[in-house]
Amino acid sequence: MIEPSTHLRDKYALVGAGHSRLGKVPGVSAQGLLEEAMLNALVDAGLTTQEVDGLICRGPDEIYTFHQVMGERLGIDASFSTTLTNGGASQVMGVALAAMAIDAGMASCVLVGYGRDNWSRVHANKENHMRGSGRPQQMYGMEFGPEFGYYGAIAAHGFGAQRHMHDYGTTREQFGEISLAFRKYALNNPDAVMKKPLTMEDYLAGRMIVEPFGLFDCSLQTDGAGAVVVTSTERAKDLRQKPVLVKGFGTGNNISGWFNDDNMTHTGAIQAGKTAYAMAGVSPSDIDYAQIYDCFTYMVLVQLEDYGFCQKGEGGAFVASGALDLNGVMPTNTSGGQLSEAHVEGMLQVVEGVRQLQGIYGPERQVPNAEIGLVSGHGGNTVCESTLILGTA
Amino acid sequence: MMSDDYAKAIPVPGPESVPFWEGAKNHRLMIQNCNTCGHHWFPPSTVCTGCGSRDIEWVASSGKGKVFSFVVFHRLYHKGWEGEVPYVVGIIELEEGARMLSNVIDIPVGDVICDMSVEVVFEDATDELTLPKFKPV
Ligand SMILES: [Zn+2]
Repeated sequence: MIEPSTHLRDKYALVGAGHSRLGKVPGVSAQGLLEEAMLNALVDAGLTTQEVDGLICRGPDEIYTFHQVMGERLGIDASFSTTLTNGGASQVMGVALAAMAIDAGMASCVLVGYGRDNWSRVHANKENHMRGSGRPQQMYGMEFGPEFGYYGAIAAHGFGAQRHMHDYGTTREQFGEISLAFRKYALNNPDAVMKKPLTMEDYLAGRMIVEPFGLFDCSLQTDGAGAVVVTSTERAKDLRQKPVLVKGFGTGNNISGWFNDDNMTHTGAIQAGKTAYAMAGVSPSDIDYAQIYDCFTYMVLVQLEDYGFCQKGEGGAFVASGALDLNGVMPTNTSGGQLSEAHVEGMLQVVEGVRQLQGIYGPERQVPNAEIGLVSGHGGNTVCESTLILGTA
Repeated sequence: MMSDDYAKAIPVPGPESVPFWEGAKNHRLMIQNCNTCGHHWFPPSTVCTGCGSRDIEWVASSGKGKVFSFVVFHRLYHKGWEGEVPYVVGIIELEEGARMLSNVIDIPVGDVICDMSVEVVFEDATDELTLPKFKPV
């Protein structure tokens, strides 16, 4: 039993957000893309690299001490800096860690970001292309997997989807509703990679990759980066943007393994959400929109359940009800998400979560009267989860 | 078959998993057992994942279990599987309680379902490597 520190509530703020070019961006490294996103975030905040004293980031996981590489490239010495290694849960966690670091007096203005050159890597050679991965195989296990033809995050998540279908009667059409909802948002996002409408017929006709997942259950392979600036709410008053407050955050890590217990149908989002709600002093019914980590359709469905937006097992009916649309009960992934905007491992979810509360969009994308939003990060070999609850001042 | 002719990935055992692979060569499915609490688990470690005890030993599983979940690979991720897609990768829950990843074989791909009963079969892949796989009972 843990008790999150409610004194952190509303004390720290996201004061700028930015992203790089997204999609196929050949000839630029992950570092270069992250610089682009970080400078855009600083410009958004009205700050420069000279005012940054904290750097929390992540890039390609095989690069040693990635924050040091970025510090060198940006010309920043930091009183607090580190690279996170919770996979797709790292990016939301980076914002939480920034707030903790500032609260502990370790830094005052922290840049948080993630960059990847995944499209370029996957298309760089035949071996990467066949495995559908830009990471060296050595980073995954060398036994209890490849010898059985088990490759990729898609299969790990597929096990969860299959078990959920078995336990609760969830269907592929319901997974498809998630793809369709996010594609609609992407069509209103000029930066989104996917530009064409998607119908249920298209979804069902998509070629099977690793069953139960077909082509349109899978997030995109993209180059891209995102970044945000975190500082105190006090200091935010003098900055350019309307501050977006960190109301609460939480983490949950079922690191005993995805195959253990019922972890693949009851994810780390249960613990992470509980903690974040308690810190923020809100409940699921107070949330106006969600930006959910969508590596595969199923992960959206199960996280919506685990965050309490519907009952366990009812995620299928929930997503099929139109709940995820802009006028639905829980507008979700309003930029198109990783399924249709670009896959930057949850960092674009943070960026979109901020922008919704900055209130910068027109009616086609802006969640009306948005005051509180939830952002999720999921990854780390499918068992790590981080949650952020953001609010207007 | 000599390893040189084997096109699929050859596992690289960690120091703690040698008894599993040696057992497989002798057609025994080895898992770990805790002498303190009776918990069985896989993959291997040096402490009981149920209670943290270091009083543990390797034991042979009955090899019987059920499919906890599974996926069907339609896309080719490794050239060693050319001509074998679609194939099934499952998580097998052994009757002792430990779960392990393997292939479900000897059944049409579309007939595999969660919770179906399976038992181990040993596939001698090369002179040096035997893979425990699972078929319907
Ligand atoms: Zn024990």
